[in-house]
Amino acid sequence: MRKIALAVTLTVTLALAMVGCANPQDKKTEQKGDPVKITYIHRLPDGEGMTKVADIVKRWNDANPGIQVTATKFDGKAQALAVKLETDIKANAGPCLAQLSYNEIPEMYVKGLLQDVTAEAKKYQKNYGGAFGQMTLAGKTTGLPQDSGPLVYLYDAKEFKALDIKVPTTLDEFKAAAAKAAAKGKYIAAFTPDETAYWLSAQTAAAGGVWYKTEGDKWKVNLDSLEAQKVAKFWQDMIDAKSVLTLDRWSDAYTKAIADGRLIGNLSAAWETGFALDGLDGTPREGQWRVAQIPDFGAGAKTGPDGGSGVAVMKGCAHPAEAMKFNDWFNTQVDDLATQGLVPAAVQPAKTPAKMARQFGGQDVRAVLAQANKNLSQDFIYIPGFSAVVPKTTETAAKVAAGNGKVADVFAAAKTSSFQALKSLGLPAI
Amino acid sequence: MSRNARHQALFGWLFAAPFAIGFLLVFVAPIIWAIRAAFFGSEAAEGGLYGGGARREVFVGFKNFAHAATNPGFWSGMGRVLAFGAIQIPVMILAALFLALLLDSFLVRRPGLWRLGYFLPFAIPGLIAAIVWTYLYLPELSPFAAALPDLDGIAFFLSPRLVLASMANITTWTYTGYNMLIFLAALQAIPHDLYEAARIDGASGWVIATKIKIPLVRGAALLAVLLSIIGTVQLFNEPTMIRTVATWMGNDYMPMLMAYNTLMGQISPSGMGPASAISILMAVVAGSLAVIYALVQRRIAR
Repeated sequence: MRKIALAVTLTVTLALAMVGCANPQDKKTEQKGDPVKITYIHRLPDGEGMTKVADIVKRWNDANPGIQVTATKFDGKAQALAVKLETDIKANAGPCLAQLSYNEIPEMYVKGLLQDVTAEAKKYQKNYGGAFGQMTLAGKTTGLPQDSGPLVYLYDAKEFKALDIKVPTTLDEFKAAAAKAAAKGKYIAAFTPDETAYWLSAQTAAAGGVWYKTEGDKWKVNLDSLEAQKVAKFWQDMIDAKSVLTLDRWSDAYTKAIADGRLIGNLSAAWETGFALDGLDGTPREGQWRVAQIPDFGAGAKTGPDGGSGVAVMKGCAHPAEAMKFNDWFNTQVDDLATQGLVPAAVQPAKTPAKMARQFGGQDVRAVLAQANKNLSQDFIYIPGFSAVVPKTTETAAKVAAGNGKVADVFAAAKTSSFQALKSLGLPAI
Repeated sequence: MSRNARHQALFGWLFAAPFAIGFLLVFVAPIIWAIRAAFFGSEAAEGGLYGGGARREVFVGFKNFAHAATNPGFWSGMGRVLAFGAIQIPVMILAALFLALLLDSFLVRRPGLWRLGYFLPFAIPGLIAAIVWTYLYLPELSPFAAALPDLDGIAFFLSPRLVLASMANITTWTYTGYNMLIFLAALQAIPHDLYEAARIDGASGWVIATKIKIPLVRGAALLAVLLSIIGTVQLFNEPTMIRTVATWMGNDYMPMLMAYNTLMGQISPSGMGPASAISILMAVVAGSLAVIYALVQRRIAR
């Protein structure tokens, strides 16, 4: 008898302990008149000298006693956040709002983790530029855009002058300038394997193409397009002529190449202006760099999207209207967001932060980035499952950089893994 | 059952309860859950570009296992860990045995200090050790790597030809001291009368080490090798860290990496089901290897 009693006690303890782990978000015990509670999880850097997210949110909370927002910073990688969100939302313990990269929006939506807030979003659409489209899937809007990453060209103006080269405006000029600089041991661009998925897709967009489009109810993987081939050939020529450095973007080698003055330019995402030159602070090279539009890839004054993110409303959020109201307010605080190194997606112009002005020799960086934002391709969309395309692309590009393969292989790898990703999600592809 | 016995049984259960609860919660429950997850997958709720923006969990039988078992990426990853283990485990075990014998002999002064010194790398968290070594392999940061030539266009220690050896070096550095402790504990359990008897019979230190000590630590060696085989199949910190500076490696370079990235949505098909299936397959392979080793060992010992 005792044994049974004990076993029961143990089981009950165990069950209680397990129940204790669950943490339902929206307890249905809210009283009328209580403030609406919104939880928001973000991945903004919150670094030194930036306007902290907590401070921005506090301003909102002070002004809006009826809608109280709790912001949490997620310190891990984007993929880790995606998995956490999936687990939490399935356990009904997810946040109301989450910062997601544009390439994650389709797969999060496919997994049923995002809410359709089209009606709410329409009210705020006028405040945002082209990135609004990245939050919209087949006519359903899931949140609001936060920042965008049009490709721009960063370069060291003083070195360019010393080498007697100008900012190239066409791909042929780019090759010629790169060859001239390389003859002196300087490089005006880097082929960065770890960024290729976003970087080459953005360039394909700049050339007027897309990696993916929709045909009726099917995905069309478009990696053999003429535009894609053009981008592949351009970098193959650059690599063959040895006029480009090959190193990972997120490596110490990259930082060192800029510090040494060996790398004097690169096609970069607009958000890189927030930190790419930090290593030059206090050195003689400080303030020499400028930002310009990328060369014409064959489609005129056009650029492509390299990264950027939005704030989406997650499934299970009990107050989507209030969440969207805060979402819009937060993403139009452009000056605060600019201090975080972002290129805000809101149309309202942001001031060039002091640090940026210093690093770019007083140039009105924001004006150039705003122009790039206007030139941004509106047609580029990501497929659900793009997260699995990125690593295969990187792996192949790293082999190309080491001299074991052609740039065209990178596009081929992206094509194969795109089909695989769509197939394993059970989505129709041609 | 007498009253006293019942009393004792109750106390036994009470004392075992904290462990039993922890064991069930953090060990048994996740395993059962992973096995269940491995038999499930998800499918789009509706047709269309985004599958209707919702997914359904469906029972898929052995599909996840079939996919993992027929995936060439899984087996080439398994091949890499086996090649790794085939060289690294013997080197490490022999080095650990050698160090343990040295410390157990009378050749070394202050054995406590040496013991601590050899063990110290194990006290450093595995990931930190991997980071430190990765920095030592990276030409931009390392005091010596820049002097070595690139192989196949990639930095010396990170090149396809040497990267397994670079990882094996980290593992050996970390775990030799740990395995040495296993041997040392076994050595110190040997009754000293045996040595005395041997000396009276005229045995030298060398003979005592090879004829008495080594045969008597065979059980410890079995344990050390089994733990190492399982640890090798689960190799994760080293490839994860090195991959951040050697992007050519791909995210399925080793099975554990593959399981992790499958969960993280970085390998198709992704998700809990496929990732659980890979993990279970890994456990089966590691378990089989351990059993095979133990059987072979027993046969040789006979």
